[in-house]
Amino acid sequence: MRLVKAILLRLLFGAFSLFFISFVTFVAGEFAPGDPATIIAGEKASLETVQQIRHNLGLDQPWPGRYARYVSNAVHGDFGVSYYGTHEPVKDILARTVPMTVKLATQAMVLAAAFGIIFGTIAAVYQRRFADRTILTLSTLGVTTPNFVLGPILVYIFCLKMDVLPLTWSTTLVAPEFYYFLLPVVILSSRPAALITRLTRASMIDTLDQEFIRTATAKGVPRRRLLFKHALRNAILPVITTIGTSFGFLLTGSFVIERYFLMPGLGSAVIEGIQQINMPVVQAGVLVTGAMFIFLNLAVDILQPILDPRIRESQV
Amino acid sequence: MKKLLAFTKKDPLFVLGATFLVLLVIFATFGPNIRNAMIHPAGNSNFYAVYDPVSGPHEVVGGKYLLGTDEQGRDVISRIAAGARISLTVGFIVEIIALVVGVTIGVLGVFAPKWLSMILMRFTDGMFAFPDILLAVLIIGTIPPTKLANVPLGKLMPVIIALSITAWPSIARLVKGQVATLKDREFVIGAKASGASTFYLVTRHILPQLTGILLAISMIDIAGTILAESTLSFLGIGVQAPEPSWGSMINSAREGMGSYPVALVWPCLILSLTVFSLNFVGDGLRAMFDPKSK
Repeated sequence: MRLVKAILLRLLFGAFSLFFISFVTFVAGEFAPGDPATIIAGEKASLETVQQIRHNLGLDQPWPGRYARYVSNAVHGDFGVSYYGTHEPVKDILARTVPMTVKLATQAMVLAAAFGIIFGTIAAVYQRRFADRTILTLSTLGVTTPNFVLGPILVYIFCLKMDVLPLTWSTTLVAPEFYYFLLPVVILSSRPAALITRLTRASMIDTLDQEFIRTATAKGVPRRRLLFKHALRNAILPVITTIGTSFGFLLTGSFVIERYFLMPGLGSAVIEGIQQINMPVVQAGVLVTGAMFIFLNLAVDILQPILDPRIRESQV
Repeated sequence: MKKLLAFTKKDPLFVLGATFLVLLVIFATFGPNIRNAMIHPAGNSNFYAVYDPVSGPHEVVGGKYLLGTDEQGRDVISRIAAGARISLTVGFIVEIIALVVGVTIGVLGVFAPKWLSMILMRFTDGMFAFPDILLAVLIIGTIPPTKLANVPLGKLMPVIIALSITAWPSIARLVKGQVATLKDREFVIGAKASGASTFYLVTRHILPQLTGILLAISMIDIAGTILAESTLSFLGIGVQAPEPSWGSMINSAREGMGSYPVALVWPCLILSLTVFSLNFVGDGLRAMFDPKSK
């Protein structure tokens, strides 16, 4: 019963977040420069045509009506049309660009989680010794070094000096896709990897200090089994939360990486949208990224009380 | 002097960071004008070292122009100094706004009538639904750059507005938590019993307790703001040309990376050092004011 209540509470909060993010993007659209009807109709259109388009878009209704229409359109996957070029539906732009961004972020997340959990555990096991100090120093650097400082360094070494990896994305791939993704993914994952390393280390040290570990040691549980089966399984729970929040960072971090490596992802589309004052693209990009972030955090939040009975008891 | 030495030994990173920041402020304040006086060509009164070319592109490092010139032949060190000015200005203004709004909302979250505090805190929670700079990107998209051209700091305004709106929620949340615990401490209850008004309680008893931790958090927040400003400028939607920002300098150096990679070094180096220093100072301050955090 408590579990159900905890999950319901979280669903409610997720719904609230979705409402909030959709409302904010709607308001941003209202304030944005340019009148959609005029832009879509073109400069030479007559006043009647503009009026007709305005009516068709529902722009002559009061704002609650416009907001309701905006949400229902978005739910049906209709984000309007781009103001520029061939007035391509924003839906198609998203379909073209979102997969690349999600691919980048997911690969970086997997890499960061694997790296962080492995090295965090090593640091905790060899606490205060050389391995621990090295890992800790590197992870401090990893947390504070911005992506676009680490980027040039790695690009200089691997693309210009050693010439083993391609410098930027190109429309005609001459090497397997993997080579093009390698550097962006590594750079993108550096910060979450460092965060997860530190968190795993702290959580693991906490867990290793607890009595059930001492009991297990006293009972003669083999060291390896003790570490992985008993300690890590408990220590990893807080790490899962960070994976959820880090994913949001990766989605926006991917904006920078895409620009750096000229990859045609969602980030590139949104930035181009801002530079052209092409609001539907910007709105849709922010809405979709925000929604992904909310759903992922919701999934993590719901998973947590299921995985960890202690949270189930304490938080309701 | 002896005290300073002892302190340096105890927290060398703090002293190192603080020293760097003091030098950076001096560099940002006087650097552009000093460089301008140094390399000003005779008879050209319209020349300003930050915007105007002094020689051919990519003059070598260590030559006449210390750090060389950029792809348009402009003096790199002048532009780094002017970029420092911009980063520090944006960081400082944004932090002041975020502190005022964050502290007000955090305090109201505890002391306001239930319905108001409920709305304010749910609104604060909602702000966390946006990852990182996504909200800043959205806000910049809604501000037409031409509209703010004539206000003071006009070219920086869109960035300042966007980053201020994204910076306050974390402060509000922190203040709310701290105030909620302080509210029930004996000295506050005592003051209340002797007839102090809520306003007096907050301004004289509760907020002074928070200055230390807020100062520490501010340093770390300013680092985040400077980084965000550079990120936006790197993406081409932050501080607009010809104003030099470290972020836009990194971007233009990236474009010419194949032939002239040295150009990347300076903006990256000073940006990293600034961010590291602010974090060191913030951590040091936090350790000073909150012994439990160590």
